[in-house]
Amino acid sequence: MFLGTIVYGFINSAILALLSMGFNLTFGISGVANFAYGAVYIFSGFLAWILMHSWGVPYFISVLAAIFCSGCVGILMYYVVIIRVKGLSLSEVMATFGIGMAVMELFRYFDFVGFRYTLPVFVDGSLSFGEVYIDYQRVLIALIAVCLTGFIYVFTHHTRVGLAFRAIAQDERTALTFGIDSDRIGAFSMAFGSALAAVAAIVILPLGTIAVEGGYEVLINALAVCIVGGLGSTVGILVASVLIGYAQTFTANYLEPHWMILVSLIAIAVVLTVKPSGLFGRQKELEERI
Amino acid sequence: MLTVENLMVFFENALALNDFSMEVREGQLVGVIGSNSAGKTTLMNALSGLIIDMRIKEQRRGGQRITLYGKVLFEDRDITTMPPSRRVKLGIVLCRERHPVFPESDVLENLKMAGYLQKSGKVRETIRYVFDLFPALVRLKSRKAGFLSGGEQQMLAIGMALVAQPRLLLLDEPLLGLSPMMQELVMGAVQDLRGTSRITVLLSEQFARPVLPLIDYGYVIENGILTLMGSGRELMDNPEVKAAYFGV
Repeated sequence: MFLGTIVYGFINSAILALLSMGFNLTFGISGVANFAYGAVYIFSGFLAWILMHSWGVPYFISVLAAIFCSGCVGILMYYVVIIRVKGLSLSEVMATFGIGMAVMELFRYFDFVGFRYTLPVFVDGSLSFGEVYIDYQRVLIALIAVCLTGFIYVFTHHTRVGLAFRAIAQDERTALTFGIDSDRIGAFSMAFGSALAAVAAIVILPLGTIAVEGGYEVLINALAVCIVGGLGSTVGILVASVLIGYAQTFTANYLEPHWMILVSLIAIAVVLTVKPSGLFGRQKELEERI
Repeated sequence: MLTVENLMVFFENALALNDFSMEVREGQLVGVIGSNSAGKTTLMNALSGLIIDMRIKEQRRGGQRITLYGKVLFEDRDITTMPPSRRVKLGIVLCRERHPVFPESDVLENLKMAGYLQKSGKVRETIRYVFDLFPALVRLKSRKAGFLSGGEQQMLAIGMALVAQPRLLLLDEPLLGLSPMMQELVMGAVQDLRGTSRITVLLSEQFARPVLPLIDYGYVIENGILTLMGSGRELMDNPEVKAAYFGV
């Protein structure tokens, strides 16, 4: 039981890291808290499902299309909505949250509810780890979380656009003097964040069903990780994922499974009262943003 | 190379620049001298296009109204309303006041970030040149820019502007907050880079003493209005300038 909790706690941490990466990236770069994040997550899940089941598109193409479309949705959201309220934190939150709610409730309205909405796993089967059994999909999630973290690190430190991302994040006006266009980079950061949400959806959703409620849950978890870790800090996100991930798994295994979501909520409440900028937060205005 | 014709800039109803005209010829070092809040930074922002970006952003959120009248011509091309990124492509690069660096990135990374629009070969070459120009930066290569002293940050900021391949380099108060020794070093570097790369430089300053002896031409600005102009020598001999800036 204990070994199992350790292993599954790690998987849970990886899931949380995957979920919050995109949210954190968009905020860290353009300062936009994308509250439509959960909606993008289930949107990409449903899109992949529709492509596969209604149009008969092969799995890999549907998945890539879903990730690509989510990225486009991010760009669209930036240029149509966010650009008009950029810099007004409260309006940004209301606009993105409104969009997210509208999208999710539309799915509910059109009856996207039920157990038939599932995505397939990459490979079936499981492997044993001592006496702990773990399916390949969960192993894959952990692998992808590690790979994506590495990819984002390399991308933001060694590519032109990645460096521009970090330049804008640190000082927008100075970045402008070198020809870095803040709107283009902002749109790109939304696209990147949304595509990351889609990647997370594609690998995590096969563990359960695609449900509208899942979108809200994702948002809560992503928020919890980002608040505990400190928005904009990648190290903070990883540490917070591990903390909350293990706390959730231990709660589920040793106390009550349905208290799991409470862990996130309590973590948000405690961190916001004790250290509002998060464990590793650089964003001092967090109090105003959330 | 650069001509400013009757430029007026309003922030709401406050007039920051009033009917300002000037000219910068290719290869010159031109100075704009003025005290605090004289309009130097507004002028630099208008030339680099930052003010256009500010105007768009203020407009979007319904904030302060920024209005521009008059013309800015760069090589006979009207660039008054051109966004900053396109001006960088033309070769107009601004180094903002108060040593603007990216504090959480190290020195080398700062220089790379500045080369966003440039070819990577050219960026590497210029970074080497910057390290020649400011040897002090070499051993600070992997230090976070936020931990540098003011003078080191100013050297880095000028280096970053150079990586963006300027033909017209705008330096906004490069001496602000620097020790006299550092001021001398920075002005020396400005002289050096003009010698080696023939970059045209327009700099604004409130410290006239280290600047006036070096400039080809200077403009004195007060409350957004052009009050005096002339060669560096002429300005130095002017009794009003002497009284206001040299304290004699």
